Amino acid sequence: MKINTLFRADVWLKKAEKHGLLGAIVMGLGSAIGFEIFGQLGYAYNLAQASMVFALFLGGLICFLTMFSYSELCAALPVTGGEYSYAKAAFGGFTAFMTGCLRWLSSVFGAAFAAIVFAQQLSYLLSILLTLNQNHVLPYANLIAAILVFIIGALSVRGVKEITTILVVAFLAIFALFILSGFWQGQAVPDVLPRFEGLSGVFATTAYTFIMFVGIRAIVAGAPEIRDPEKNIPRAIFLSMVLLIALYCSVAYVAVSVVGQEDFSGSSLLNFAAEKIMGSLGGALVAIAGMVASISSLSTAIMVQSSITRGMSRDGYLPKVLLKVHKRFETPHVAVIANSFFVMLLASIGAVGFLGYAASFASILVFALVNLSVIKLRENRPHLERPLKAPLYPLTPIVGFVMSFMLLVFPILLEDVNAENAIISSLGLIGLVLATYHLRMVGLHRLRVALGGISLGIGFFAALFAYLIEIDFKPFVLPLVPSYVLVFVSIVSILAGILNIVVGMRKLF
Amino acid sequence: MKARRVLAIIVGMTQGAIGLLAFVLVCVLYFNFLNSQTMLNVAAELLPLSLLILSVFGFFSVISGLFLIHED
Repeated sequence: MKINTLFRADVWLKKAEKHGLLGAIVMGLGSAIGFEIFGQLGYAYNLAQASMVFALFLGGLICFLTMFSYSELCAALPVTGGEYSYAKAAFGGFTAFMTGCLRWLSSVFGAAFAAIVFAQQLSYLLSILLTLNQNHVLPYANLIAAILVFIIGALSVRGVKEITTILVVAFLAIFALFILSGFWQGQAVPDVLPRFEGLSGVFATTAYTFIMFVGIRAIVAGAPEIRDPEKNIPRAIFLSMVLLIALYCSVAYVAVSVVGQEDFSGSSLLNFAAEKIMGSLGGALVAIAGMVASISSLSTAIMVQSSITRGMSRDGYLPKVLLKVHKRFETPHVAVIANSFFVMLLASIGAVGFLGYAASFASILVFALVNLSVIKLRENRPHLERPLKAPLYPLTPIVGFVMSFMLLVFPILLEDVNAENAIISSLGLIGLVLATYHLRMVGLHRLRVALGGISLGIGFFAALFAYLIEIDFKPFVLPLVPSYVLVFVSIVSILAGILNIVVGMRKLF
Repeated sequence: MKARRVLAIIVGMTQGAIGLLAFVLVCVLYFNFLNSQTMLNVAAELLPLSLLILSVFGFFSVISGLFLIHED
């Protein structure tokens, strides 16, 4: 059976219910324009100064290249599950599981970041409205962020409706006002082109701000809801990307031209610039927009996470309890609560730089895997029906993959501590994902035998340590643990090891 | 069969309890509760390694204990 006939069943809606080109563009912009621009520009400015504008342009370009791969995969495999399904078709279970986990991680980190941006914007707004010093609110920003996640999580259990179109129009109007006011006032012309010695800073900024563009993939994910997808999807992607790159670069250009004349030391560059250009009202307007964007992004992210965890649970990778639906509200309440818990935990950390990098890195890895999926499917299934094809193949997916890889490396070369922590955390979590996958594949009884072996090893080590302590050798780790404690631990561990091995072997053979 | 099952439950519960105690010790050492780092003579440079070893030990002990308790 051809893979596309296997997947295509019942995913396309009736023609009357579908969006046209404009609807598809709104879908993409609505998903892409979010809290990120309100929260990331400050840290990005510290990394690259005025070259931040060039870094944003570069990020948009890399995202654009990968969107060709997305388009090809989406048209060839129009199924729910997005990247997870593409990786499954190209590489099989393990890579699909990995892709799903990375997509989930990106969403969790992003949601925690959104909660923190909300707290920052709230403190900024209060500082204007109540003429309070921001220092009165900022110490409680992490707490505010965690409480916000709790409330949005609770609302998500109840079920909330999206107002994407209204938000997109409102944001575009605010940004247009900001850009026009900025150009009207005639600020200094900043030097946006990077110098050679500042290239690593530019790449680090691109990596950090990459998450600002990835929302465009909503067009691809929403393909079943788009009329004439073969024509409208590439057009919508192209127009949305052009609009988004122009919008972000213009906003950043105006912001850096204002900051170039002033001393900026805070974290909310956009608020700072808006206040300088339009007065307190401008600062407040941007703060309100930032808060609305954060709430909207947070709400969407929690539902996306639930969808991913439910998909993986349906495939048997995660516990089935995540599939439960609330009887009254008809929402996946267990998945929402579980995901909200992780987001709350991360939001309470409150590290903007770390969360921004972590969310971007996970997205960049997903993009790299999507580019590889295109190449793999072209090789393995050359006769697969492809209504859309990535232009200039294999150049586009290869360049997209290489650029994604470079974005992972450059922040490390810059020795940015936040990037290093984000990479280490991501690698640790990927290690955990690998271990979980292999443990699941190994089967319960083999796992029991393996654990029995580990218990036996721990028991013998504890016995050896007890003996060494008895002959006056002090171990360098916990040197004051009494030998009788180690003997007790040793006996229990050896007994547990033998019992687990005996039961496991009996059930295996 | 029944004696072995009882033994498995007792050993499992003991091992699980040891694992949980290891986690408690990790928390006590990390937060230096009651000046525990000095009391247990844990050098500052070896603290992360000690915490890692105790966490791994605690994790495997709890999982192995749970396997023994819920044998079927």
